[in-house]
Order: sequence, then structure tokens, then C-alpha cells
Amino acid sequence: MGATAALVLARPFSLLADAAPAGRVAVGTCHQYGPGVAPVMSTLFDQLGGLEKLVGGKTVAIKLNLTGVSYDRLDHLRQGDTYWVHPDVVGSTIRLLAKAGARRVRLLESPMGSAEPLEEFMLAASWEPRDFENLGTKVEFENTNFLGYGKKYARFMVPGNALMYPGYDLNHSYADCDVFVSLAKLKEHFTAGITLSMKNCFGITPCTIYGDASPEDEPSPLPKGGRGPFHAGNRQPPKSAPQMINPQGPKEGGYRVPRVVADLVAARPVHLSIVDGIQSIAGGEGPWIPHCRVVKPGVLVAGTNCVSTDAVCLALMGFDPLADRGTAPFETSDNMLALAEGLGVGSRDLKRIEVVGTPISKGRFNFRQA
Amino acid sequence: MNLDPKWVPMKWPCGPLEWARRSKGKNLATGLKETIDAWAQPAALDILKGTPVNCLVVEWADGAPEDAAQQEAVRALVEAGRGKGISFVGKVAAKDVAAAASSAHAAGLAAVMVAEPAGSDLELPAILQSSRDKVAWESATPIFCVTDNVWPGVQMDTMKGDTATAGPTGVPWVNSNAWFSLLAPLMASGKAIWLDFDPPEESTVAHPANYPLAVSDSAVYGSRWVISLEDKLRDALLKGVPQAAATWSKTCETLAFFETHARWRAYKSQGILTVISDFSGDNAFLSGETMNLLNRRHVQFKVMERSKALLTPMPGEKALLWLDKDAPSPEQTAKSLAFVRGGGLLIAPTYWGLAGVKPTRRDPSIAYQVYNVGQGQIAVPDEGFQDPYQVALDTQLLVSRRNDLARLYNPATTNCHCSYDPVRRQRLVQILNYSAATANFVTLWVNTQARAARFWNCGTKEPETIKGVAATPGTDFGLPPVSVSCGLEIEV
Repeated sequence: MGATAALVLARPFSLLADAAPAGRVAVGTCHQYGPGVAPVMSTLFDQLGGLEKLVGGKTVAIKLNLTGVSYDRLDHLRQGDTYWVHPDVVGSTIRLLAKAGARRVRLLESPMGSAEPLEEFMLAASWEPRDFENLGTKVEFENTNFLGYGKKYARFMVPGNALMYPGYDLNHSYADCDVFVSLAKLKEHFTAGITLSMKNCFGITPCTIYGDASPEDEPSPLPKGGRGPFHAGNRQPPKSAPQMINPQGPKEGGYRVPRVVADLVAARPVHLSIVDGIQSIAGGEGPWIPHCRVVKPGVLVAGTNCVSTDAVCLALMGFDPLADRGTAPFETSDNMLALAEGLGVGSRDLKRIEVVGTPISKGRFNFRQA
Repeated sequence: MNLDPKWVPMKWPCGPLEWARRSKGKNLATGLKETIDAWAQPAALDILKGTPVNCLVVEWADGAPEDAAQQEAVRALVEAGRGKGISFVGKVAAKDVAAAASSAHAAGLAAVMVAEPAGSDLELPAILQSSRDKVAWESATPIFCVTDNVWPGVQMDTMKGDTATAGPTGVPWVNSNAWFSLLAPLMASGKAIWLDFDPPEESTVAHPANYPLAVSDSAVYGSRWVISLEDKLRDALLKGVPQAAATWSKTCETLAFFETHARWRAYKSQGILTVISDFSGDNAFLSGETMNLLNRRHVQFKVMERSKALLTPMPGEKALLWLDKDAPSPEQTAKSLAFVRGGGLLIAPTYWGLAGVKPTRRDPSIAYQVYNVGQGQIAVPDEGFQDPYQVALDTQLLVSRRNDLARLYNPATTNCHCSYDPVRRQRLVQILNYSAATANFVTLWVNTQARAARFWNCGTKEPETIKGVAATPGTDFGLPPVSVSCGLEIEV
């Protein structure tokens, strides 16, 4: 770890961390996709106090975790069975949101290097978007990798001491909603240690601004490439967007990516985190990471605080949410939960988090021993 | 003597004419003269023993001083070859085609290959050889030989070692003659198309060009490659170099595989989109590149020459892509509108529907005005068709992947071609791997329900049964490693 990184991590977060809210987290056991998913999720939401208050009459935006391209599979297995959130979990979520009175649901994702309609991206992966349209509420789709249907980008400033950028310009869908849901997968991440509900929000950023080929002054009309500048810090976003706070800072992904994630969940708060851990992969976030393997943790997790939810997920995966850099799963990265906790987003302290449903000890599935 | 569309042709460069032509070039390889001479000897025919190759193309008359010597030099070769059931085609570039055909006939050749349509009074039938944009489709010849093709494979500047790197679409840049092979049977039904192209210069004995792929890229789409071997490989073959023998053996295995499955050639190509153009003049670049790129995007399309388009029924057709600026005839206009009213999608450079229809946008990422006409739509680009990459991308989105017939997962550098035998009620999906590296964990998705498929890996004699995994909708087939090409027969 570079000296600067060590200094920044050593900053006394304790005051903010102690004040960070600790949300209740519900854990349910579910060993296979199919009709059994919805009842488990329904119980999870009941254990959180019900969704009605949160979503009744509201527009709910759901950031899905559909990372990578539409045609990559781990061996012959479908994406939902491995590294994407499964369509049964998406469908069940929509159905339960509808039942709780959600007026409208928007499914959002920023498919890699593409401005194609999100429905087309799903179809390319052999998902049927129409399956989500008759579940009791109006469902819309938007590719948030560019301006999309909006007239201008929505700016989200990071409250307090932002870590990488003072604010982020995002597709309008992240502003034109009352409730924001991160619907993620339970898995590790090559650069950032884990991919859970917080890291899922890395993908809310448009590559027209934060991509490898974005112009100097204004966003490009269409996205090209990936989010290399977030990883490498090799360039500023277009001048129209908030600029990197410390362009001379460390250029290492393990330092930068967790900070961007912490910034993002502080700037665009997550109201509901849902993590699909029924079936997943261990060893990385997608089949492009060597030696990834299929795992079947058999859990679903939901919570109203993304840091607390991810802390419980880490524990379920056999990791310590309080782990520092150098300790699994953060061998080569800073702990994004610690960083978000430092921004006051939420607590990662299991002693402060109320876990309901399946106890962690019963739901634990050790990813490193799988 | 008649031309046989079933001939399996091979270029057989030999003799004084070949040397006269080649010796004018720069950087002559050491031993080239000896190779060219050796291939004129009957003994050279031994490499054809047990292979499907049964037709050799030799230089015959160029209007050059070496013509007589050439014809004398190959006389023994022709005689020996005929004894082995091999037919010979003599290339004629001389002005006096009739005389050349007459001498070829006397020498026992089966046909001549000429650049211009020949009169009917020749003593031998003629195969027309021309560039893609100058094919005289109306000619009576049962075999067309076409030049200006590409060597199939992953474009070299996108390769890192044996690994393909991504192009702008995230998929490797693949060269293929597929679209032209798809066009040909529509232009000249029932006739054979020979594709004339040579291996790339960097091909060596140690690192040979992907000859099995050259065979497959032609055969899968219904054409035949006029086999053409690199000079050093030809030399090494006659010298019995094991590496050369292995390359040739693999090439012949591939040829034999497609000859064994010759009935696949008769299957009807399936497509959800018909691309319409005259494919010539100013339209040649846009149409050719668009089809290359549609193929790269795995869009299943058919091809139709503009003058013939829309004049016959199009059952099952979802969309038409009219690429040329030239307007359709009144009859074509009426039929295209009827197609749209019935639920079809027409993508055209200008709107030619009824006046007064207000266009809309389908999606912010697609810069097209979309007119709702009856149950269908006409989509017109804001700024005309300019960049073939964008045309292909937009076309795929406008047509929608919901209509896909097949998809590939973990495709690497593979592509697929869908066809159908209505009599056997059998679907055939052939998959080509354009890289030298084996494609692993490729999954084929087809839009129909099927319990199993017969998987024929190119070069094998027995199929493997692969169980289908139900998808919603359709079926997934997890494929064994694909080296060059394979075919899946799926009962529907």
C-alpha cells in the first residue's frame, strides 16, 4: 500500500463511524431459483418492517447487477446462475414491490460499452424483459450508461468529505425516483474484494463521462469502453462534470475503486439493498477472472442500509467486515465498507447490526473454502 | 463434356506460363522454379490420392510465347490425372478463346476458365471467372468462379499471439466471404460458386494459413473454395515434410467432411432479415461492409439483389433492409408497404409510405425516425446510411434480438449459420471458429424447443448427441470444444 493510501485510511473515521446508522438486515435461506424465491423474499421484507411505507405510491429505481457483456458465461452456465442477479430474484422483487403499492418500477443498468436499450441487452443474454412487465405495476427499462431519455445529467454531490470526486453526474433515472434499490449478487471482486449492494452502484456511472474515451469538455453522446479512469486515475472526466479531487493521488484500483463506491453510495443513497446469494461464483466478479468457480451459498439478504447489509453479507461469505487491507477479502484493496462508514453512510459493525431471519452462523458459506 | 457442379476444385500452379507470370514478381522464393516444375509432373498427383479433390485448375493459354510450352508441359499431368478420375480446367487469358478451348479439348481438359462470357461454339464448356461486382449471373454457365474474396479468419491486426482482441463492438474483427456466398444462390439458383482466394503471404510451412477454415467458410455458406496452397507448402508436400503432410491431411479431412454432408448444401438459409441492394458500383462498399458487420454481430440475414427483391412471397420474414438510395419500383413499393402493413419492419434510407404519418423515436440510442404503418414500421435513419458499422448495429437493434434464430455464448471468434430442411423438418446450425485457437465452452442457443441435437465436429465420422437444456424460450446446447467448424442437426 502506498504511503498516501495508508495516511488516508488512518484518518480518524471513528466519530462518523460511530454515528453511522446501523440498519436491520434480514437473511433468508433459499437453495434454488424458481417459485420458492418470492416467499423467502416476502418474509425478508416483512422482517424489515414491510415495504409499504417505503414504496407505496412511489417510483422505485432498481440498479441490477448485470456486469460485463451479454454473451459471457462461466462455462455453459447462464449468467443468472453465476455472476448476474437471477431473473427470478428480479421478478420476485418487482412483484413484491407492486404488492406493496409501488406506482412504477424502473430497471436500470449501464451495460458495458453500450447504449443499446436495456431490454435488448437482456434479450441478448436470453432474458425475456416482458416477463417483468406483467407483475402488477408499471415497469420501465433504461440503459443508464449515457444520457438516455433524460435531457441532462443529474448531479449528485457527496455529502461531507468526498473521497475521490466531490460529486458525480448520472443518468436522470437515479434522480427521477423516490426509492433507490440496489439488487446485487453475493460475490467477490478482483479489484475491490467484494461485489455486493454497494459495489453494484459502481455501475450507475455513465461511460459517456467516466469512460475510457470520454471527451475533455462535454460527455460523449454514446459510451465507449469501460470505466478505466475510475480504476487508474489516468484522466479527469469531461470539464462539465465534477473533477477528481486529487489527480496526483494513488493510481491503483484497489485504492480508487472502493473510494468511488463509497462516494457513490453516500451521494446516491440506497434505500433498499437486496443481495442474491442463492447461487453465485467465488474467486471474482465474472468469468473473465481466472479460476472463478460456481458456489451455492443458498441465501437471500435484504436490508435498508447498504453498508450494514454488505457487512452481514461479508460475514455470511466467511469474511470479517471489519477487515483491513491485507486481510481477506481485501488482500489488495481498501475496505469499501470502512470508507462508506467513514462517510457516515452506515455501520459495518455486526455488534450494532440487528440480523433477523437466518442467523449468520447458520447461513455462513465460506467462499474461500468452497 | 459438361461442367460438373460437384467438382472439388484446386489450383494447380505449374509449368512455364506459371513461372513466366511469377518470375515477374519481386522477392522470389528460393526454389520456386523447381516447385513449379515439379508440380507439372504426374508424380505430384500422388498427394490427391484418397482426397475429395477431383478438379485441377491449370494455366493454359495467356496469349504469351510460353503458351505452347505450357500446354506441352502439362500434357502428361493431364493424361495421368484423367486416369485417376481427375478433371482439368485450363485458365485462358488469350484473346483467341476458341483456339485455346480447341487445344484444351484436344489435350483432354474438361473445361476452360475465361474472364468474359464465351460464345456457344467453343469446343469445351467455359467457367466464368470475374470479380464479385462483375459476375454475369445471367450467364448459362453452371459454375461461376469469383475473385476479390478475403482470406477468412481473424484480422491479423486484432491478434495478440493466438488470442483475438476486441474490435469496436467488443467482438473480434473477423474476415469472411459469407455474405457473398449467401447472395450467390439467390442470383444463380442451382449453380456452383467457386471462391478464388490465396493464402496470406505470411503463411509458412511451420505456421500454415488456416486451410480448413478456408474450406469451411466457403462450404458452410454453400460455396466451394478453389484450394490454393502456399508455394513453400507445395514444395514441402512433395518432399514429404511431415508438417506439410499434416496440414494437407487436415485440409482434406475438412473437404471430405463437407462432401460427406453434401446434403447440407441444399438446406435453405434461414434469416430474420433480408438485405437488399444491387451490391455494385457506389453501393458495393456500404452493402458489403454492412453484411460483414451484420455477420460479425451474429445477425441471421438473407440477401436479395435489388431488382429481384420483393417480387416473391417472403414467408416468415421479419424485416427488410433496403440499403441503396435508388428508390424501389412502383411494384416493389407496393409490396414493401403491404409487408409493413402486415407487421413487418422496413429499414430504408428514405420514407416511402403514405404522407401524413408522424414519425416517433423508438429509443434514444437509435437515431431513426420510426413510422407506424398498419401493424408494422418503417425506420428511416436521421442522416441516411453512412457508416456500415452503425447501420449494422442499428439494424440489429431495430429488428430486435427477440427475433433471433440462434445466439452464441462465449463465442470468442465463432459465428454461426442457420439453415433448414423443410422435408426432414430439421434445423442445421453450423458454427465456424475463425481463430487458430480452439473455442471452448461455446453455448448455442436456438429459438426452438429441442431435447437433443446431433453434433458433428468437422472431421469426425460419427455424431455426438448433445442434450438440450430448456431455456425460456428456446434451448441451450453446451458444445464440446470447436476447433474449425461443426454442425448441429436439430429435429423440430
